[in-house]
Amino acid sequence: MMGVYELTEFATGFVVFPHPIGTMKAFRPTLLTLLLLTASFGFSADTPKAAMPDKHVAVFEKYCFECHDSLTEEGGVNLDDLGFGLDTIESAELWQKVLNSMNSGEMPPEDEPQVSDEEKEAFLEDLSKQIVLAREALSDSGGVMTMRRLNRREYENTVFDLLGVRIDTADLPDDANSGGFDTAGNALFFSSDQFEQYLNLARGALDEAFLFGKAPPKKLVIKRESEDKKNKFFERTSSKIKLDFDKAQEWRATKGAKEPKEFGFIDESDVRFHERLYNQQYKTFRRYLDNELSNSGVLLEKHFNGAVVDPIDIPGKWPVGEYIIRANVGALKDADAHQKFIEFGQTGNGARGGEMKVLGYRHITGSVDQPQVIEFRVRVAKTGGRSFGLRSRQHNNRDATRAEFLQSQVRNKVGPPPSLWVDWIEIEGPVYEEWPPQGVSELFFKGREWWKLPDQDQYAREIIERFATRAFRIKKPSETFLEKLFTLYKTERDTGKKFHEAIKEPLAVVMASPGFLYLLEPAPGQEKRELSPMETAVRLSYFLWSSPPDEKLYEAARSGELAKPAKLGWHANRMLDDPRADEFIASFAHQWLHMDRLDFFQFDFRKYPEFDESVKASARKEVYETIRSIITEKRPLADLLNADHVVVDNLLANYYALADVNHEGFQKVNLPANSPRGGLLGMAAIHAMGSDGTRSSPVERGTWVLRYLLDDAPPPAPPNVPQLSRLEGKLLGPREIINAHMEEAQCAQCHRKIDPIGFGLENFDAAGSWRESMTLTQVEKKKGKKKKVIQIDASGTLPNGAVFTDYFEMRDAIAKQDDAFERGFAESLIEYALGRPYGFSDESLRERLIKRADAKNGEIREFVIALIQSKPFRTKK
Amino acid sequence: MTSNIHRRSFLRSSSSLIALPFLESSGFRKFASAAAEAEPPKRLAYLGVGFGFTRDTWYPDAKKTGDAWELSEGLSPLERHKDDITVIQNLTNQFNNEAHWGSTFWLTGANRYAEPGQSFNNTISVDQVAAETLGKDTRFTSIQLGYKGGDNGHGPGLSLAWNRQGKPVSGLNTPVAAFHRLFSDDQTPLAERQAALLKQRSVLDTVLEDAKSAKRGLTKTDTDKLDEYFQSIRDIETRLSKEEAWLDVPKSKPTDLPEEPGEGLKGVEEVKMMYDLMVAAMQVDASRVFTYRQPLDSFIRSMGATITSHNMSHYSDGARKVVSKNRDAKQSELFAHFIDRLKSIKETNGTTLFDNTTLTLGSNINSIHYLTNCPTVVTGGGSGFKHGSQHVVDPKTPLCNLWLSQLKGSGIEVESHGDSTGQIDSLFA
Repeated sequence: MMGVYELTEFATGFVVFPHPIGTMKAFRPTLLTLLLLTASFGFSADTPKAAMPDKHVAVFEKYCFECHDSLTEEGGVNLDDLGFGLDTIESAELWQKVLNSMNSGEMPPEDEPQVSDEEKEAFLEDLSKQIVLAREALSDSGGVMTMRRLNRREYENTVFDLLGVRIDTADLPDDANSGGFDTAGNALFFSSDQFEQYLNLARGALDEAFLFGKAPPKKLVIKRESEDKKNKFFERTSSKIKLDFDKAQEWRATKGAKEPKEFGFIDESDVRFHERLYNQQYKTFRRYLDNELSNSGVLLEKHFNGAVVDPIDIPGKWPVGEYIIRANVGALKDADAHQKFIEFGQTGNGARGGEMKVLGYRHITGSVDQPQVIEFRVRVAKTGGRSFGLRSRQHNNRDATRAEFLQSQVRNKVGPPPSLWVDWIEIEGPVYEEWPPQGVSELFFKGREWWKLPDQDQYAREIIERFATRAFRIKKPSETFLEKLFTLYKTERDTGKKFHEAIKEPLAVVMASPGFLYLLEPAPGQEKRELSPMETAVRLSYFLWSSPPDEKLYEAARSGELAKPAKLGWHANRMLDDPRADEFIASFAHQWLHMDRLDFFQFDFRKYPEFDESVKASARKEVYETIRSIITEKRPLADLLNADHVVVDNLLANYYALADVNHEGFQKVNLPANSPRGGLLGMAAIHAMGSDGTRSSPVERGTWVLRYLLDDAPPPAPPNVPQLSRLEGKLLGPREIINAHMEEAQCAQCHRKIDPIGFGLENFDAAGSWRESMTLTQVEKKKGKKKKVIQIDASGTLPNGAVFTDYFEMRDAIAKQDDAFERGFAESLIEYALGRPYGFSDESLRERLIKRADAKNGEIREFVIALIQSKPFRTKK
Repeated sequence: MTSNIHRRSFLRSSSSLIALPFLESSGFRKFASAAAEAEPPKRLAYLGVGFGFTRDTWYPDAKKTGDAWELSEGLSPLERHKDDITVIQNLTNQFNNEAHWGSTFWLTGANRYAEPGQSFNNTISVDQVAAETLGKDTRFTSIQLGYKGGDNGHGPGLSLAWNRQGKPVSGLNTPVAAFHRLFSDDQTPLAERQAALLKQRSVLDTVLEDAKSAKRGLTKTDTDKLDEYFQSIRDIETRLSKEEAWLDVPKSKPTDLPEEPGEGLKGVEEVKMMYDLMVAAMQVDASRVFTYRQPLDSFIRSMGATITSHNMSHYSDGARKVVSKNRDAKQSELFAHFIDRLKSIKETNGTTLFDNTTLTLGSNINSIHYLTNCPTVVTGGGSGFKHGSQHVVDPKTPLCNLWLSQLKGSGIEVESHGDSTGQIDSLFA
C-alpha cells in the first residue's frame, strides 16, 4: 500500500492525507504544517473521526521535535509526519506508540526536558480518549452484521426446543467475547474440533430423547435414613481418638521412662498429634452422639474434617432423566436465624470433606417437632454425577469449615452447635411431564411403532425431512442434502441396526450442519435488504429467548403478520412476558454489567463468613430478578439507579437484615427510609464485583460506575505504566494509597474521575455489607500486628462537578444523570440484539430508542420494543 | 494451498513410505536400522504460562550478559542446566496493548486492529507454521494442550495455536484426554475402523452438501464466516486421511509411558503430567510440534494459595508476592524436570531428544501489566542455538525474530514470521 493516498474530506472542508508511516514524499498537512494552519481550520466536533486537539502541537514542539523530526528521526521515529487525525490504522498505531512511550515514562528520555505534569495530564487524557475513539472508528463495520453461529447457550436451548433434552455443553467453547457479547457474529469462531463436538452432543441428545415403550418406566423410590450409619461412623472415629488419647496418657504417666513406641506411637510428636486430635474433636463427636436427635436423624453441623453431609445416591441402574429429591427437615430450637438455610448439592468428584457443587438452598421454617418437607429437582445425565447431599450453609471450602470449627473449639472447647436436623431423604423418579415425551412424539409423527408401517424407508425419509426443516427453522433443506441424509440412515440399517437406531445418525448430522448452526440471512448481490417475516421471527426469538420461535411466532410469520410493526410489537411484548425471556435478561445483564467479575475471586471466609456461595448466587440473581420485575411491571430503567424497594429472596433479605421474607423465590420488598439498598448501587453483587474478595476496590467500583452508569468509560488500563510502590509496607487507608495516583500525570488523567466515585462507595465492604469504619491491619515480621481504625469518608465530586458529602448524596447525583445511563443501556442493547459492535452509525437508532422510551416514562420494555420495530433490526446488511 | 484430493491421494499412495517412528524404544528396530542414516527429526514445543513472572526476582541481572550471566532467584532451580539454557531479554510484541493477554499474540505477533472494520484479528502462530513442515510424517501434525477453567492471563484463544486463517485451534484440555489421543489404541477390529472412517467421510460429505447450499447468496462477510466451517471440514478430512494411512500402525508407546492419568489431576501435578506426556510423544515420534497453554489458577492453588492468578499478578510486597515467587520457582523446577527427561532419552544416532528439540517457556506478559521484555527461556539443540548465556537484545526487538530464528534453525524455510525483521544472529554464535 506504500505510496497510495486517499483524500479524506472532513466536514469543515479541510483535507487530510492519511499516510503510511515512513513515507514522506508527498506534501501533506502534518504537525509541522498544522502549526501554520490551525489558526483557521479545525476538526469539526461532530465528526466521528478521532483527532488530537490542535492545542497539543505545542507539546511536540517543545519536547519531541528535537529528536524526532524529519531531519533527526531518532529511533526511526519522525513525528513531523504524524497527522493529527487518527484516521488510519497506521496513524493510530503511531499514536499508540506515542501514548505507550509517554505512559511508560520512556519518553522524553530522562536527560531531556520533561513535560510538565499539567501538560502531560491534558495530553494523555486527550490521547488515550482519542485512541479509543480511533480504534472504535477503524473497527466500525458500518452496520454490517456478520452471520451468527448459535452460541453455546443458544445451541443448548435449540436442542432442548427440538428434542426436549438438556445437554451438557460445558466442553464447547463458552463463546464469551472479551469486551463484547456472546451474540457477536464475527467473534463466534468455528474450530475444527467443534464439528465433532456438535455431532457427539447431538448423538447424546438423541439417545436421551428416544424413549420407547408403552408406558413410562415405573417410578422408583428410595427413602434413606442415614442416622445409623452416621452414628456408627462417628462412634468408631471418636472411640479411636479416645483410645489413642488414653494410650498417650498412659505413656505420659511413665514420665519418659518408656519409649512412645511401646504404646504404639512413632515418637513424641506422634503422641502430641493424637492428643491434639482428641482435644480438638472428641467433645464435638460426643456432643453429636449424646444429642437425642442423632438417634432419629442427621444433625447438620461443622466438624474438623468439614461439614456433616446427609447423602443420597441415585443408583447407577436407574435411567437418566429428572428426579425429585425430598427431605424432611427441621431447625433446632435455638438455631440462629441466618443458619436456618439448608444447602443442597452434588457431592463426589474429588471434593474434600463437605464440599459440594451447590445446586440450591431452602429456608427452613419447620422445627424438629414439626419438620417441613423440602423438595429439589435434579437432572441426571448420562455422564453426570449421581451423588447428592444436604448440609448447613457455609463457604464451599473445607478450609473455611475447619476455620469456623477451630474458632468455636478454641472459644468453647467444642465445635459450632448444629442448627438443622434431617429426618429422612427420599428420591423419586424419573419424572416425565408427559408420555411419550413431547420431543419423541413430535419426531415420530406417525407413531413410534415403526415396525407396523409397510414402508419404513419412506417413513424415515419423512421423519428426516420434517426434522431437518424444523431444525433449519422452517427452511426446507436441498433435495441432495436430504438424499444424503437418507443414505446415512440406509447405511446404518444395512449394518443391521433397527429403524429407531439407524435414524439417529442423519438426525445428529442435521444438528451439526450449517443450516442448523448458523442463522442464515442470504442477501444475494445486495448491500442490504429487508428481512423476510420468517427471518424476523428467528432474529426476534433468538434475541428475547435465545431459542427458536414458537409455533405462534412462526404462524405470525407465515401469515405475513410480522411485517407490521404493531403486530411485531405485540409478539415482542408477549415474548417478554414469557419465562423464556429470563434467558435474555440474565445473559444480557451478565454481559452488559460485566458480571463475570463476580467469579474472579474467592471470598475470604474469615472476613466474610456470611458471604458464602448461596448468598453470592442470590446476589447475582438479584440483578436479574430486579430487571425482570422492572420489565414485568413496566417500570423505568432509572429504577436501577435508585429505588424504594428491592427484589430479593429470603436468603438475601436475611443478608440485608430486612424483615423476614417467608416465600420461596424472589419478591419485591419495600425498604425503610434511608436504606442504602435499592438500585444497582445498593446491591451486594455490584460491590462484590468491585473487590478482590478481601478488600473493596475503589478503583474497580469507580470505573464500573463510569462505564455502566454514567456512560463515560475511562480508557482501558494501559500497559507498561510504572507501578506505584513508594507506599508499600505502610499502614495507609485506601484514600491515602490511591491519592498517590494524583502524583503521576499518567495516572491522574483518569483517576481524577474514577477514584472519588469509588470512595463514595466505601461504606460497602468487599461483600456489600454496610460499614461506618474500616480496620486496617498489617502483619510485619518481628513487629507483630499493627492496627488502625479509620472512619469512612465518602465525600467527593462527580465528573460533571456535582459535589456530594456521602453515599446517599452521590447516589442521588448519579440518579439525576439517568440520560447517560439510558445512552449506555441502549448502546449495549443494540449490540446484543444486532450481534455486532455498536457503531457510530447507530447513534440515530440509539436516540430513537431513548425518545420512544422516554415518551413512556423511560420503561425498559419500551427500549426493547422500539429496537425490535426499528429498521436495522429488520434489515440484513 | 494443495487441494484435498491431491493431499489425500498423496497420503494414500505414500502410506507405506510414511516415516515410521524409528526411535529405539518404539519396537521398530528393524526399520530403524534401515533408516539409521537419517538424522533424528527436529521438534518444537512452546509452554505458555499466562500471567508473567515476578519482575525483580525472575529476570536475571541484565548487566551480566553472555556466559557471564547469573541465574536469578526465580530461575535458580535450573542451576543444573545453566549451560544448556538461554535467557533472552527485551523481546516484545510491538502491537499488543492488551495487558491481560499473555498468549493470544504470543506466538503470532499479530496486530489486533490490523483488519479495517474488525475489532479482532490474529495470524498464524509459529508452531502451526512449523507443523506444516514437521507434521507431515507423524501421526499427529501438531499437538495442542490446554486446561479446563478460566482465562488465567492467556486472553482469547482455545490453545496457544492459531491457524493459517488466524482462527483459534482447539486443544486437549486434560492429561487424560491427551493420554488417550496420543497413546490409546482403538480396540475395535481393523475392518470396523475402516467402516467407521468411511462413515465419517459420508457424514462430512453430507454436511458439505448443506454448506454449499448455505453459502448461496451470502454476503462477503458471511461467506468468510462460513469459510471457517468449510475449513474445519477440510481439517477433519486431512486428519481422516492421515488416520487412514496410519490405520494399521498401532500407536507406539514408550516403555516408561506414565500410567493413565486420573480425571482429578490439577495444578502442578497436571502440568508435570502434561510435560511427561509430551516427552513420551516425542519419544515415539507421535508428533513433532507441541504447544501447552498452562493452567495458573489451579497451579497456585495446588501450592496452597487461596488467591486467583489475576490477584497474584498484581502483587505488591507481601502475601501475593510470595505466591508469585513460589510459582516462579515451581515453574523453573518443572522446566528443569522437562529438560532432565529430554536429556535422558536417546535417539537412534546416539544423540538425545534434547539435542533435537527446541523448547521455549514464556508469555507475552512480562509482569503485572508490563508487555515489553517478554519473559523468554529457550533450551534444546533443535535450532542450533549456542546455549549457556543471557542475551539482552536491542529494546523492542520483535519476539517474532526469535520465532523466525527457531523456524530457520529447525530447517523450515520461511522468510519471515509475524512482524519479524530478521533472525537473532547472536543466538547461533
